[in-house]
Amino acid sequence: MSKEFKTLPTPPRLPTRRARILLGILLAAVLAFVGLDLSLFDLVPSGGGLELAGKFFSAAFQPAWQYQDASNLPADISPFLLQVGRGLWTTLTYAVAAISLSIVGGMVLGLLASASFWERRSGTWGVVRWSVRVLIAAMRSIHEILFAVVFLATLGITPAAAVLAIAIPYTGTLAKVFSEMLDESPRAAADALAYLGATPLQVFFLGRLPNAIPDIAAYSFYRFECAVRSSAVLGFFGFTTIGLYLRQSFENLHYREVWTYLYALILVVALLEVWSSQLRRKFVA
Amino acid sequence: MLRGLNLEVGCGERVALLGPSGAGKTTLLRVINGVIVPRSGSVEVQGVNLRNLEPRAQRQLRSRIGFVHQDHSLVSNLRVLHNVVAGRLGQRGFWSSLRGIVRTSQADLLEVHRILERVGIGDKLYQRTDSLSGGQQQRVALARALFQQPKMLLADEPVASVDPTRSRDLLSLMTELAAEEGWTLVVSLHDFELAREFFPRVIGLRHGTVFFDGLAADLTPLMVAELYSLEGTADEQRI
Repeated sequence: MSKEFKTLPTPPRLPTRRARILLGILLAAVLAFVGLDLSLFDLVPSGGGLELAGKFFSAAFQPAWQYQDASNLPADISPFLLQVGRGLWTTLTYAVAAISLSIVGGMVLGLLASASFWERRSGTWGVVRWSVRVLIAAMRSIHEILFAVVFLATLGITPAAAVLAIAIPYTGTLAKVFSEMLDESPRAAADALAYLGATPLQVFFLGRLPNAIPDIAAYSFYRFECAVRSSAVLGFFGFTTIGLYLRQSFENLHYREVWTYLYALILVVALLEVWSSQLRRKFVA
Repeated sequence: MLRGLNLEVGCGERVALLGPSGAGKTTLLRVINGVIVPRSGSVEVQGVNLRNLEPRAQRQLRSRIGFVHQDHSLVSNLRVLHNVVAGRLGQRGFWSSLRGIVRTSQADLLEVHRILERVGIGDKLYQRTDSLSGGQQQRVALARALFQQPKMLLADEPVASVDPTRSRDLLSLMTELAAEEGWTLVVSLHDFELAREFFPRVIGLRHGTVFFDGLAADLTPLMVAELYSLEGTADEQRI
């Protein structure tokens, strides 16, 4: 018996590394709060702010069905609910256009950035892979709003400007995630194809890619939802998405209209979520 | 890992490789199809010396050698049909093989169906591969090899993930097909009984060298016990 105790393996050393990392994160958070001079009292609004907040949130219970102030409207304006529908429609079309471009671009760049695509090829191709990775990093390090500001200045308020502003960073994000999904897809089947004489290109497209497709499709759909939100936000810069009308109503203090726009947006995103989860179940099952 | 091997396998011969894990069975199979090139010595398969083969010539050779793995060798979310069509990747160009998956030709379709009927799963033609049982998936792997039309079939523990009764069926199918098609068959196995039942010749590997090479009938239980015994170096036990 005592012999067994003697042969008990020594436990691993205390996980100091993990503790150090956690402590580091905590320290960073504290420094951020101190650096920003944040205090919890800032969260309590001042007198006027409190009143405004009250007005805004009470309007949530009575969203508008028509314009709140009919006296001051331009003559040619369409009925309120039509305006909401039109805003949603442009929001969706911009998002669809942007995500379509991004999926195509993301697939091409994602393939080129993945390690599995260059497997079984000479190491000099690594130059291409790393250049693509740098390009991808550059594309997604700039937010779509910054791109929108740039394209507004160069192209003006055109659909192309909005679509490009969303498509560029989204292409970068999709490419990065696609390349990771491709590299994580199981390799045993691909190896088996190489064993029966397939070329590296065949091995990749017929052995590796098919297994990554369900994940790629699911993630693309999630990014489409994000694109809808981005498209809505671009309205704040004057593009004719729902954000434009939302900002106008907000500036006119028509909070009930604001809530109608918000509910409409929530409804659309919720419907997309239902649709995408159905698709996901079909794909992954 | 493999040392001092001097083996010759004749055309159309059926050989079982036996030996404990880490003895070099898988390595030997990979040497035969050119995935691993030995540091010294020479390997000749179907009249081709495997040393310094151009990638193209290497693929050509591999397209004439079927390979059945232990498991996970099929693309799980493709249909059975497409996994079988993949058997001819080595003989087809990129676009033609892509078309084979997107729009399978009538000729391919009929041939694949005939092959699936032969391996006993004709009704699974359009099923997703991962909906099949382990034994059925190995039949798909066999069907892929049949569609490939190789001269030789290598199989690495093809029944290790299949239950005992089905392993018998699968091995008997495999040896029947080898006889029909005139394949040279080299199969690594764990189970000595199965080897004796289906293979006239057995090669026992241990420590990467040949421990036994001869008729299965000449292999005595004592020799098998010795082949698998863990006595000897600590090195072997760690493997």
